[in-house]
Amino acid sequence: MKHYSLLGLAPLALYLGVFTLVPVVSTLVLSFRTSEGDWGLGAFRALAAHYQFGEAVVNTLAITGLGLVIELSLGLAAAAALASRFRAQGIVRVLLLIPLGVPTIVAASTMRYVFGMVGYLNEVLYRLGILTLPIDWTGSRWLAVVTVAMADAWKVTPLVMLILLAGLQAIPRELYEAARTDGAGPWQQFWRITLPLLRPALTMAFIIRGVDAFRIFALPLALVGRHLPVLSTFAYVEYLEYGNQHTSAASSTLLLVMILMTVGAYLRLAGPEEVVR
Amino acid sequence: MKAGRGLFLTVLILSAAGPLYLLLKVSVSPPAEVMTPHPLLLPHAVTWRFWERVLASGQITAPLWKSLGVASGVALLALTFAGPAAYSLAQLPVRWRYGVLLSLLLCRMLPEVSVALPVAVVFLRWGLLDTALGLILAHLTMALPVAAWVLTTTFSSIPREVQEAAAVDGCGAWRTLTSIILPLALPGLAVCGLLVWLLSWEEFTLATYLTLGAKTMPLQVYYYLYQGNWFDTAVAATLMTLPVLILSAFLQRYLRETSLAGVMR
Repeated sequence: MKHYSLLGLAPLALYLGVFTLVPVVSTLVLSFRTSEGDWGLGAFRALAAHYQFGEAVVNTLAITGLGLVIELSLGLAAAAALASRFRAQGIVRVLLLIPLGVPTIVAASTMRYVFGMVGYLNEVLYRLGILTLPIDWTGSRWLAVVTVAMADAWKVTPLVMLILLAGLQAIPRELYEAARTDGAGPWQQFWRITLPLLRPALTMAFIIRGVDAFRIFALPLALVGRHLPVLSTFAYVEYLEYGNQHTSAASSTLLLVMILMTVGAYLRLAGPEEVVR
Repeated sequence: MKAGRGLFLTVLILSAAGPLYLLLKVSVSPPAEVMTPHPLLLPHAVTWRFWERVLASGQITAPLWKSLGVASGVALLALTFAGPAAYSLAQLPVRWRYGVLLSLLLCRMLPEVSVALPVAVVFLRWGLLDTALGLILAHLTMALPVAAWVLTTTFSSIPREVQEAAAVDGCGAWRTLTSIILPLALPGLAVCGLLVWLLSWEEFTLATYLTLGAKTMPLQVYYYLYQGNWFDTAVAATLMTLPVLILSAFLQRYLRETSLAGVMR
């Protein structure tokens, strides 16, 4: 039986070796070589001097951090609202999951209608009496960062909600009953029971979303444009616009390191069994 | 408490579904309703002008076919490669299985730009840029880990006793596979195929690196967006979202919450 097993795995392993492992390693190698063919840190030095690179790093981190805050708090609130039974629960769930299926590039186009200068968010805020003059949501850098984080949150909060909902439903009801008998209020129940027992689900959502947000590509490119660089789009522009393979590779390598560090931290926190389950 | 929850959920539903409504609305609205300082929220007049223009432009059929072909190719090949792998994985001892699944998940978390750069350089030399085959090969790097992950769940949910019973009744390994295992795994295989199809259908990053002229649907949508025409963008975006909505409505029934972890985006 055993040798059969390895035989079945071979094509997959071979494919991923050739088309994933080799490219990733050669990107790594490229980033430590110069265009003259020597080894060196030239590409990283060029990055450090590049006027847009620092911006790309900060933007990536800011979009990730801000996005995580929005997605986890909103996702938790939504999961809590969905956790107990009520009428129309099924249809509410389906409606809330809509953005999850929408392709990223479509989400970006749609968010242009929402966050445009003459877009619909400005109009809604105007009609609610909150705004008198329209806001240029993608006009200035920091507002654009906030806008991209909000647009990304629109698409992925449902995923966070699903993960946290599964976590909430796994908490035994009896714990709450016991807490109530002992006189614990709703806040105490939340801090002492829900949050600690939800930790695995929260960590999982945190890591999945964190890694994805580091790699964000289509959304900033299509919603704001190249003047809001993130690490991925920076790598893309360096290669396809300027034909600069080495700086592009170096930027990708930094991204790789950020992701590996995040995943590593998670594995230490959660243990591999928890991830696979 | 109850009223508060109702209000909260209503606001959430409006913000979740609202943007998609806007997409449809813009695609059939006359510009005077949209391109003004105070756009109308509810549909008033309806025009099919932009649908007709985009469909007649000849710019959308080629991307539609390319995306359709690539996604279908990816789905078929992913099942062919990941199927046997997942079947073998399901037989492995649990500790080994965890290790392999974990490295598959890691493959899924690598930055696309790290994979795309050398692949683009090599494909340029091999003449694979702009071809469906090249894109299929690239998309498989994302599709295979997901497919193997989902199929391993499928195969390991088939009880071992079923196989043993077949062996007792005199079934050989091949016969067991074709008349016992595969029929039982068919729903899982179908779900996995659809999932991977969707993954390829909406993929943007690798396609950007590997395309010069022959665009896929996501790239065509980006092209319209880049030109700044809201209405053509809305039509193309709606066109590519329709199959997604249909398929994912179907998929939702089969996806367990946690297996979404391997899917992402």
